[in-house]
Amino acid sequence: MNIVDYISLNFYFFEWLITGIGCALIFRKDGIKGIYSFIPGLQQYFLAVEAEREEDGRTYFILAVCRVLANLMRSMFKEGSPVEIMWLIVAFALWMACLLFGIRIFIALCDVFCQKRRWTWLWLFFPGITSMIWGISPKFMPVHKTVSETDFEKAAKISEASIEAVQNGLTVNLTDRTVMNLGKKAYLLKDIHLSIPVGHMVLLLGGSGAGKTTFLNAVTGYEKANAEIILRGRNFYNNYESMKYDLGFVPQQDLMRTSDTVRMTLYDTANLRLPANMPRNEKKERVSLVMEKLGLSSVAKSQVGKLSGGQRKRLSIALELISDPTLFILDEPDSGLDGVVARNLFQTLRGIADEGRIVIVITHTPDRVIDLFDDVIVLAKDAALTGRLAYYGPVGESYEFFGRNSMEDILRCINQKDEGGEGRADEFVEKYSDVMEQLSTEAENA
Amino acid sequence: MRESENDLKHIGRFRQLIIYLNKLFRLFVLQNDWKVLPMSAVIAGLVSLAVGRGLFRTMEGTFQGTFALTCVCIWNGFFNSIQSICRERAVIKREHRAGMHITSYVGAQLIYQALLCAAQCAITIFVLGVTGVAYPQETVFNSVLDQAGSQAGTGFTVELFITLFLVTYAADLMALMISAIVHSEMAAMTVMPFMLIIQLVFSGFIALPQSISDATDLMISKWGVQSLCVISDYNELPAVMIWNRMSSGGDRIDIGGGVTIKDVMNVIDEQGMKDTVIQKLSETNQRADFEATFENLFTAWIYIIVLGAVFAVITVVFLEFIDRDKR
Repeated sequence: MNIVDYISLNFYFFEWLITGIGCALIFRKDGIKGIYSFIPGLQQYFLAVEAEREEDGRTYFILAVCRVLANLMRSMFKEGSPVEIMWLIVAFALWMACLLFGIRIFIALCDVFCQKRRWTWLWLFFPGITSMIWGISPKFMPVHKTVSETDFEKAAKISEASIEAVQNGLTVNLTDRTVMNLGKKAYLLKDIHLSIPVGHMVLLLGGSGAGKTTFLNAVTGYEKANAEIILRGRNFYNNYESMKYDLGFVPQQDLMRTSDTVRMTLYDTANLRLPANMPRNEKKERVSLVMEKLGLSSVAKSQVGKLSGGQRKRLSIALELISDPTLFILDEPDSGLDGVVARNLFQTLRGIADEGRIVIVITHTPDRVIDLFDDVIVLAKDAALTGRLAYYGPVGESYEFFGRNSMEDILRCINQKDEGGEGRADEFVEKYSDVMEQLSTEAENA
Repeated sequence: MRESENDLKHIGRFRQLIIYLNKLFRLFVLQNDWKVLPMSAVIAGLVSLAVGRGLFRTMEGTFQGTFALTCVCIWNGFFNSIQSICRERAVIKREHRAGMHITSYVGAQLIYQALLCAAQCAITIFVLGVTGVAYPQETVFNSVLDQAGSQAGTGFTVELFITLFLVTYAADLMALMISAIVHSEMAAMTVMPFMLIIQLVFSGFIALPQSISDATDLMISKWGVQSLCVISDYNELPAVMIWNRMSSGGDRIDIGGGVTIKDVMNVIDEQGMKDTVIQKLSETNQRADFEATFENLFTAWIYIIVLGAVFAVITVVFLEFIDRDKR
């Protein structure tokens, strides 16, 4: 080994050691194990996690592993041989990609630590010194919403109550919905128990990140939770394959092939979702009936892409309605629609509920159509940032429960303070839990 | 409202496949997907103008021409399906959750794309014929049938059609696979040229170092060029390029005593030895894998079919995970 190789080897070793120690100190600020900081690839992954860019970190890690493999392959061939050069090119391309992702991670890290983005350059060229400064200095602290033990203590208690299944409706007994994050269990939803009778139109209210979509995904079985979902007396999870046809989910976007015609879009859906032994004429009749009900008959031959926003939304609803589901869920059906068209749409949904279905709707402008709803489910983020049930019941009683006059006020009341709310979510989660326990005791005594 | 309908049977994979096939053909008209057909005619015409004169006539012209035809097929195949799945990914996810089988959807795509590719190949062959490309009389199948003592025979266009179809279809399936893996049209269109370049570089047309030439076995383009050269009876074609070059510039090369290369060539020509010299030159260009045998043709076709099948399976596997797409 010549002197140059010796010096560079030592340099790389000390660079690795200092960066490792620096990053370990940074990780400690977020409760991440310091040992990860000494493993190349994982170091950047956990920095990305701290920078709230977990996906970038994952990509970086995969690229870094590929780069190591490419270099290994390279070393297996004679230096200067065409194959070695080919692997060198691959390794270089991967290094470039790693560099770009590294820059993204460092920029995000600067943002999370409330530092100027010019620190990115120092991270790139002097990672050892920079990580040591960031790790040692108390001025460099991450400012993001982390859940501490105290937050968990502050969070509203768990009711541990479960609702008895209603014979002809939807019963949700959701214990929790969790995901694994950095080897730790993170709760997205907890302790949600409710029962919705058929014929009810229910508003699902909650601030951003309160778990509305997670809740709906749990109910629909798209992302199963630790829960028991009973629809018309049958366990939805256990009978998913047969019961999925009894569910209509209208997504926020109009997910349809824009070049197809309205009638054929509906007819193909009818063929897919209606029973196989249903005669063709009956299916056609069903298509005509649904088109008539949703005011689409006049545009039956039009291409989907040429419909107005309201018509498209109606068609999206029609696609789900074609199989005559008991449970009908809509994620912001009124987004992008003006007030008149939106109200008209909700009136149609009211009609659908009145036919004996359960309609659950997420909307960000509930007050303009609140008179059409029977009940409201209020989800709120507790102190531990878990989605909890703050209220479920009739719309009128919800005003009394929260002491507010509008749904928007209720939302403001339960939203976190950093979201412009009053941060009273835990108070109402507990209050609702107490009400439920009281009702339960009364029912038992009776 | 249904009481006991939950357990009712819904249509199976085959009937779903028919529904999606109908839908794809309907969209072919409504969505202007038919544009790929005239486009393939224009491309075939341009290629014919560029390399048509030497195609199936000389070794050099055939090698260039078959490479160009393979490129056309790969281009057509890629363009047919590169956006097919990714542009409606969210729709597929919605339909999958509502009971659609991925195998039915991909099956419908496979049939639809096969017909599209077949139409494009028929158009390409027609355009090549119209623009004056002379097709050989001998075919690999005929020689096999002759050996078997059969009187039946096939035309060259049949072999050409099958070969062009297999190359186009395999490229189509490769693009379909990419379309199933990526999540946006933009990503698909970014990957496509990269894949195209790999196909061209590793087609065997460009001389590669021995150590990496094995990678060409995984390329549709390599087997496309091979099968086209096999059916063209490449090894029996004359290699005229050296003769022509020397004819045009030979008078400037003095080989001593005022005698030029051109003079030598004139003597060869006068003595009726020109064909023999060309024949000898051709022998140096012959390649065992281009010999017009059924084994060579069959090997190339099988490779293309296997590659296509692998792409189709990967497409299904990736789409089966579509429910995990983030909202």
